[in-house]
Amino acid sequence: MMADNALIAPILIPLLGALLAFLLRRWARPIGLLTMLMLVIALAGLVPGLLETGSRALAIGGWDAPLGVGLRLDGLSLAMLLMTAAVGLAISLYSAVYFSGQPRLVASFWPLWLLLLTGLNALFLATDIFNLYVTLEILGLAAVALAALAGGAEALVAAMRYLLVSLLGSLAYLLGVALLYHAYGTVDLILLSERIAPAPAAWAALGLMSAGLLLKTALFPLHFWLPAAHASAAAPVSALLSALVVKGSFYLLLRLWLELFGGLAGVASILFGLLGAAAVLWGSLQALIQSRLKLLIAYSTVAQIGYLFLAFPLAIGAATTAWTGALYLAVSHGLAKAAMFLAAGNLLRFGGHDRIADLDRVVQRLPLSIAAFALAGVSIMGLPPSGGFIGKWLLLEAALDQGQWGWAIVILLGGVLAATYVFKVLGYAFTQSEHPHQAKPVPALMEWVAFGLAVAAVLLGLIVAPLLALLGLGDPFGAHPMAARP
Amino acid sequence: MEPMTVLNWAIDGLLALLLLWLAARALASPELMESVVLFVGFGLTLAMVWVRLAAPDIALAEAAIGAGLTGALLLAALARLPRGARETDRDEGARGRLGELLLMLLLAGLWGGLALAILSLPLESSGLAEWVAGALDETGVGSPVTAVLLDLRGYDTLLEMVVLLLVLVGVWSLSKVNARPDRQAGTMLDRLTRLYAPVMLIIAGYLLWAGSSAAGGAFQAGAVLGAAGVVLILSGWRLPTALVGWPLRLLLAMGVLLFLVVGAIPLGLGAAWLDHPAAWSGTLILLIEIAASLSIGATLALLFLGAQPEEDQP
Amino acid sequence: MSVAILYALTGAGLFVIGLHALILRAHLLRKILGFNVMGSGVFLVLAALARRTPSGIPDPVPQAMVITGIVVAIAATALALSLMLRVAAVTGRAELGAAGACHEDGDTEQGERP
Repeated sequence: MMADNALIAPILIPLLGALLAFLLRRWARPIGLLTMLMLVIALAGLVPGLLETGSRALAIGGWDAPLGVGLRLDGLSLAMLLMTAAVGLAISLYSAVYFSGQPRLVASFWPLWLLLLTGLNALFLATDIFNLYVTLEILGLAAVALAALAGGAEALVAAMRYLLVSLLGSLAYLLGVALLYHAYGTVDLILLSERIAPAPAAWAALGLMSAGLLLKTALFPLHFWLPAAHASAAAPVSALLSALVVKGSFYLLLRLWLELFGGLAGVASILFGLLGAAAVLWGSLQALIQSRLKLLIAYSTVAQIGYLFLAFPLAIGAATTAWTGALYLAVSHGLAKAAMFLAAGNLLRFGGHDRIADLDRVVQRLPLSIAAFALAGVSIMGLPPSGGFIGKWLLLEAALDQGQWGWAIVILLGGVLAATYVFKVLGYAFTQSEHPHQAKPVPALMEWVAFGLAVAAVLLGLIVAPLLALLGLGDPFGAHPMAARP
Repeated sequence: MEPMTVLNWAIDGLLALLLLWLAARALASPELMESVVLFVGFGLTLAMVWVRLAAPDIALAEAAIGAGLTGALLLAALARLPRGARETDRDEGARGRLGELLLMLLLAGLWGGLALAILSLPLESSGLAEWVAGALDETGVGSPVTAVLLDLRGYDTLLEMVVLLLVLVGVWSLSKVNARPDRQAGTMLDRLTRLYAPVMLIIAGYLLWAGSSAAGGAFQAGAVLGAAGVVLILSGWRLPTALVGWPLRLLLAMGVLLFLVVGAIPLGLGAAWLDHPAAWSGTLILLIEIAASLSIGATLALLFLGAQPEEDQP
Repeated sequence: MSVAILYALTGAGLFVIGLHALILRAHLLRKILGFNVMGSGVFLVLAALARRTPSGIPDPVPQAMVITGIVVAIAATALALSLMLRVAAVTGRAELGAAGACHEDGDTEQGERP
């Protein structure tokens, strides 16, 4: 049988693009844009084969597990790859304009950004928990280097804290990998799922790997590093950090839960849910009291990450509904949050500041960017017909089916709070500021990209059936009945 | 107990204690310079531990990279720190006695939990040792560790080289263009360099060659090349400006590029990506290793330089 | 207890000692050293336990993983040191929390460095 080598395309395309952008720095921008285009085409090419088989796998180097390193594509990984490519394409178009006229930044941004995509795509495809450690490091180091590009005291200190946190998270994860290897003689996720059993080494690995990944995903109260890092970066970098990077570690945690730890850890699931609920409330309240737009959006990310973790306790009794709900939210948050940060970047460039109280009638002056913010807000609040609405609806359904009213109340309350902070911003966008200020023009493409992403986040709610069918390919939520057991 | 066993236990026990003591001292010392020196000592002790654990490949990597080059990076960073930033006026430790006590308790609990997990592992486990031994012929490499690094788990190694390149791009983006030598090297250092650089080149070549059957390999060789680069940089030597642009970048990317080119060969043969044709496997791997060690050496030396070398206007 | 277990426990100890410094020490250089000590601890656990083979010849797979880990660690250290130097150059201090209050008004557009 021919090896299914097509699976390496999502990893190799951005990697080759990064190498070319590094070597031919003068053409970094066209190389970057072309790479994104190729990536989208390659992903589209993977879909038909997946529809036929449900899941695809490749043993790299021809070495099967446990000796070699494997890749696997199923509905869950494809959904994450597609979301990343869509958001990535938008961010690339935006960056092509945003960084123009700054050759040093251009020469650094494109290789780093394409390497970040390499790491992220490799993470979505990997089934080897040691290989996943290396992909986590690529993702984390690239993210920090991009965050630091903004320069300035605030951004540099935030990036430094982000780096230390990210490295700490990776090491905790790696120690867990070491214990699992020595307990079960393999680092292959699928073999491990067959061998793992309740034992001290498994418990310790569960604790270490979860703690490391929660830190990287910034679940309350481990979110302390996120707002400054996400808010102080350059606009396209803020967007990719909030929309994509935190999803990488969340995805890995979810995979570990589905394949390894779900059956071991009812108590941990409930703890994750409680922290998630706290994150929804705390993050939303913090967003509400921020005076700067980018910090408000960053705290909104803290809250939205909380939602993803509500799925862990809910999955105990309603696995498929809860997990698809969380993933629906993850994907729509990816689109909506990128739209918000890009729109905020436009406002910042236009007025030279991002003080919410001084937005000064931007609704008349940058209507498209404000529309992007508002539409993205619709998805973040969870109003129909947006993707955010569908995600929250599925989570609510999982909660109500099991009669777990507490989680349902948190889901609804978080929506109300989100509405409040979104409308707070919109309110100031209509009013005249006390301090009128100089305005700089914003290139039309930067406005349209933000708007397009926001529209996509809303439209996501209209393609429920195909998206759910896609997520279910290869049966990622049901193949391991351990995961559904309390 | 046999006298030999007692002696062995004494050595291992002492080494373990020494490691813990050096680590604790390095992290607690009020003098940054002392911290760094103790840390290098820690790395060298760890290299000895690797020898005790029958892991000569790691021992070489640890001595060259973990202690040597990391130490050089730390010293260079310390020298570049502005005066005011060498100390902190905040109390280094305590955020209140109670907080510190609580943290100590938590950490002790963490150690206890880890110890419990370690002690609960089966006393004997062959891991994948036999699997690797069985596959060794097909890889065309004699040394099991090199076989794992460059063939069985070659994909990890590819990504690891990507990490090095990524970090170099990051470091270059952070530092304003640099770094002509701050001062002229003395004649002594200059003479030493003339002596050392060729010797290091020979050592690197040997390590690379030996890696296919004994301890050594691309990373150890690359580390020695990197060290040679550090010595050259210290003595004030710089690449000619003409080579600083794309030729240098090509050298840096070559390791990853060649890995990709060789890995693509099986794509045409219907085999899996990175599945080197058996007859050529040993040769191809050596080729990858040569390119990798050159790229790794250049990257490590440039990380030490800390900034992008000046180039004619891009 | 065997040598493998002795060094694995030592590794766990290094992990904890490094973590202590990473949390409590204020100077960034010490935090970076703390990270390195933690990393060495993890590597020690990983490769020491590889000696539990019945034949006494250690399992090469964890050894290879440690070599990968050592290279990743020096790369991370290089980026961290470089970032530390930038932080020190801009804020005058090599510690976190140095830029807390200096940017409340949000007046400059980020990413628009001259």
